[in-house]
Amino acid sequence: MTTAQQTDRDATGPAHGERAFRARGVKKHYPGVKALDGLDLEGFAGEVLAVCGANGAGKSTFAKLLAGVETPTDGEIEVTGYPHPVRNAAEAEQAGVLMMHQEPLIIDDFTVGENVWLYKLRQGKDIRPWARKTDTNSARTRQVLQEVGLGHLRPGQSAGDLGPGQRQMLSLSRAAVTQHKIMILDETTASTSEEHFKDILDLVRREKQAGTCIIFVSHRLNEVFAMADRIAVLRNGKLVRVLRAAESDPDEVTALMIGQALKALARPAPAQVEGTVPVVSVRDLHGGAAHGVSFDVHAGEIVGLYGLVGSGRSSVARSITGQRKAAGGTISVRGEQVHLDSPRAALSRQIAYLTEDRRLEGFVKDFDNGQNMSLVVLPRMARAGVVDAGRERSRVRELIDDFQVKGGTKTYTRSLSGGNQQKVVVAKWLETDPDFVVLDEPTKGIDVGARANIYEIIHGLAARGKAVLVVSSEAEELLSLCHRILVMRNGRIVQEFDPEHASTDDLIRTALSHQD
Amino acid sequence: MTATTDQPAVHHHEQDDSRGRAIGSWVKGQYALYILVALLLVATITRGSVFWGATNLTNLLLQMSIIGVVVLAELIVVLTGGIDISVGSALGLAAVVSAGLFGGPSVLLALLVALAIGGAVGVVNGWLVAFRGLEPFIVTLGMLALARGLVYAYGNGIPINPEAAASFASLGQATFVGVPVLAIIWLAMVVLIAFLLYRTVWGRRVYAIGSNKEAARASGIPVKATLWSVYVLAGLLVGLGGWMFLARFASGTSTAGNLLELEAIAAVVIGGARLAGGYGKVFGAVVGTVIFAVIANLLSLLNVSTFLQDAFRGALILVAVTLATVQFTRRRARTSTPASPAAPSAPATR
Repeated sequence: MTTAQQTDRDATGPAHGERAFRARGVKKHYPGVKALDGLDLEGFAGEVLAVCGANGAGKSTFAKLLAGVETPTDGEIEVTGYPHPVRNAAEAEQAGVLMMHQEPLIIDDFTVGENVWLYKLRQGKDIRPWARKTDTNSARTRQVLQEVGLGHLRPGQSAGDLGPGQRQMLSLSRAAVTQHKIMILDETTASTSEEHFKDILDLVRREKQAGTCIIFVSHRLNEVFAMADRIAVLRNGKLVRVLRAAESDPDEVTALMIGQALKALARPAPAQVEGTVPVVSVRDLHGGAAHGVSFDVHAGEIVGLYGLVGSGRSSVARSITGQRKAAGGTISVRGEQVHLDSPRAALSRQIAYLTEDRRLEGFVKDFDNGQNMSLVVLPRMARAGVVDAGRERSRVRELIDDFQVKGGTKTYTRSLSGGNQQKVVVAKWLETDPDFVVLDEPTKGIDVGARANIYEIIHGLAARGKAVLVVSSEAEELLSLCHRILVMRNGRIVQEFDPEHASTDDLIRTALSHQD
Repeated sequence: MTATTDQPAVHHHEQDDSRGRAIGSWVKGQYALYILVALLLVATITRGSVFWGATNLTNLLLQMSIIGVVVLAELIVVLTGGIDISVGSALGLAAVVSAGLFGGPSVLLALLVALAIGGAVGVVNGWLVAFRGLEPFIVTLGMLALARGLVYAYGNGIPINPEAAASFASLGQATFVGVPVLAIIWLAMVVLIAFLLYRTVWGRRVYAIGSNKEAARASGIPVKATLWSVYVLAGLLVGLGGWMFLARFASGTSTAGNLLELEAIAAVVIGGARLAGGYGKVFGAVVGTVIFAVIANLLSLLNVSTFLQDAFRGALILVAVTLATVQFTRRRARTSTPASPAAPSAPATR
């Protein structure tokens, strides 16, 4: 709440309701793109300010400017208690801004405990080389881990072995051991699944009590409403409106984000699968976290694969697309048994895999949009190994228009927002004209507007007779998207749902229960 | 397509860029060219008449042709994120063996032998790096010692003079419309490598692997085979360099190509290539080559002692690399890569 609540005020913390930062006329222009175009925004101590917006609305840019990662082109951001506008990351840190990045900052070769106390290594006033280092295996460390739901980890174990959700929670645990007035959660929930969300809520509640101003950058509106006091909606680099969460609802925010009401998504007609040979048929698949998985996917069918992190859903997705070698079981494509021991082998069987980790596997960071889109199909655009540059250029232009990618053929893909990056990756794979498409978390880190695009593309695939498997940790997404949903638990498929007669609750309950 | 009104601020903004501005930004990035221009100015002021004389220019071209071919080999390896420090030794081995095998009766046979030696070194390096997953630095460090040891053992430390020494010498001095033939060979290789890197599927794959090996693999690119081919091609270029060495000096000395790896890596880096892979231009590597040749030439024209010449060369590397980082950070501040892993709040990751 923005009203002054003088509760639980400790000696050093700011008073609730006091202004924590003020952005005035902030602009950030990149070559060809105005990411932020004159933003005025204030945040107050002891409140959660959600910053929402569609792709490229400027919300992540704002977070980066506040954290000093980047410098505004114009305008300034004042942090209360700091003498001059913040100009870089070191100053932002001194001013008390704690940034939680979308990709958690974890040093793999350090232990869990050392990662908790990582920021103690920051160069502060105390730079004596002989200063004692923090005990990273103390009771305090264990308590900090406990508070973010990682109580089962040993502080001494290597951080490199953790899953993506655990890594994010580990980085969040640092909030408990640092001094800060402003905490930025930049799409922090993107790589955590629903199971960690409660821990994040607890953390945010503790931070609010201590008088921190929390900036929550997200487009998962259900989480925004579970957390936020105020919601600032950005569109095209401008502030549209600041709403009170209690007086608003997700529909209103969505409408403000995209500028008009989102068209309801009609599920495609159920595919006729009776009596046909399945495009892909998996029997008793083992490998990674998967232990004996069998299922079929027919032409024109969208099958959802739901499960918690570690349930084996990603292992299945990767095994049937040649990204990893299956340890056992058989995979048949149109009735013919195949060995998919590499992505190349899968590609030659017209199987495409859209990775969960776009930055690592999705696109090449030094390539522009054109080069990324043509990466897989380049041999087809070449004669005797020599690329037909004209043909490549014109095809890529068409793709950029078809998929509504922001930016041109020469724009670096890495400089785009998550949603636009995903469109580039989707375009790259669909250009191979696959028969079977596996999408692993296709809307991870993607906002409402681009989501609708991706969903339409998926529906279009099914309508053109492709077999589609969507792996997701969002039950709601699968329910609105798929013809059938398979739920995995402990490496097995435990139940199949018809989305017409199932709810989010059913899926989560099935994925969670501990019967086996 | 959908109900998104997320209008792009600028669509296809590369088309809006005026050509003049594109050239302007290109010129801004070519700090290696400025070093070269500065060097040429110094040369003109101090020893202008000698430096720009026909004899000296021919010498200069001959000097840079051999190292130029090796720089190209180093460039393609560096583009994949690897490094090859065995180029100098491999060049020496190719030179002495092609001079000595069968007594060195013909120039053409020597070329085949030199290419075979260089290619064999590349095959081994590439196999260990690509298929055994070893660090390129360590693999080529071993190869450096191995090849140099074989050079000494082969000639017992004595220069080997091929039977056809006279035809080698005449090849080394031959010119075509005033340009040394060796320089023409180098320029042909420049064109060949530029063509392979910029115009072929193979070249695109090399850049993709250097920039993001995981994405390349996931995209169905034959990462291992491509990596291997890069090292083999680099080996062939180095073998060619050994043969050119023989043509220039008509003798395979055991110190042939000594410390050449140093200059090759430095020229590639001064030319703007990123040692981590994925970024670098043939043009930059050529400029780097010319810089090194000019500075060596200039220092001898100025009668600087050979020992001090090495120090100058080392200092130049440091200055150029420093300049490169200045340029790089400025470029980053302007275009800003959001995916940058160099996050501000974790100094310990560096």
